[in-house]
Amino acid sequence: MNGPPKVDHPQTAEDDGGLDPREAAALIEETARLARRQFQPHAPYVAVLGAGVFLFGYGAVWWSMRNQHPYTTGPAGWSIALLYGLVTVSAIASSKLLTRPTAGVGGRARRQLRGLAVAVWAAGVGAWTFQGALRYLGVSFEIVYGVYGPTMPLIALCAAAAGFAAAREDWLHLCVAVAIIAVAAGSTFFGPWGAWGLTGLGCCLVLLGYAAVLRTRLRKA
Amino acid sequence: MTAETLEPLDPVIHATTRLRIMVTLAALNDGDTLSFTRLQDILDLTPGNLITHLRKLEDAGYIHTAKTGAGTTSQTSVTLTHHGRAALESYTQALRKLLTGL
Repeated sequence: MNGPPKVDHPQTAEDDGGLDPREAAALIEETARLARRQFQPHAPYVAVLGAGVFLFGYGAVWWSMRNQHPYTTGPAGWSIALLYGLVTVSAIASSKLLTRPTAGVGGRARRQLRGLAVAVWAAGVGAWTFQGALRYLGVSFEIVYGVYGPTMPLIALCAAAAGFAAAREDWLHLCVAVAIIAVAAGSTFFGPWGAWGLTGLGCCLVLLGYAAVLRTRLRKA
Repeated sequence: MTAETLEPLDPVIHATTRLRIMVTLAALNDGDTLSFTRLQDILDLTPGNLITHLRKLEDAGYIHTAKTGAGTTSQTSVTLTHHGRAALESYTQALRKLLTGL
């Protein structure tokens, strides 16, 4: 419900008196709830979208190479196409869900988000450049695309996000970022199959848990 | 409700529209601004009505308005000042005490 609070409030410019304290208390509660809903990004949906990308995108890549022992041709083209397709759709949908509530909001929050975008961009570009350098230096496909590819960029992006969350004392997002880093780092011990499969499944579970926490918080608010 | 019971409540805030403006702005993080049009949209007020109440709040030092740009591209943003946040906090505390005593 996005309408104005259901409290009788004549919208005149000179409504200086006659407000009962009980009405005022109800008005504060109702207006605060409405404002929180207006400004709160639809983060639970974004988290569920992300969980879907990990489950179906990473899962598809894992599925396409699950029988390759040893690692030979790597993931099938269709699985890579599905992964990037899901990432693209999810990125577009997430940006719409995240930017709508912040429309018209400026100041510190906007500046912080720009700073985060720069940090995440730098982390991503650095990780992918490093991946290219590894291949250029002759490191095997198995390591470069099987182990490094699904994990290291993710670890770099989450490290940037974790730093941002820690600076804002945002413990929930710090925990989510650290959990994803732990899952991605731990899965590298299981080779390309583990890196794609376990990272996909683990990050999906982390994001579903995160979505559940956010949903509970929103309900309580 | 008698006049004496309402006395501790800040008269600048204790008005339906201004209370809604203050509470809406307080939902933002400290230091964040909100555009006039978004505030008007959220509160479902006419521009003239909103301007009148914003002026009263600004005169009291509770909010700060800033205009950027010129002509058709100009945009007015509104932010709750530290003084305004403290005043809203005092108001809600006074209201709580008042309701406890009822």
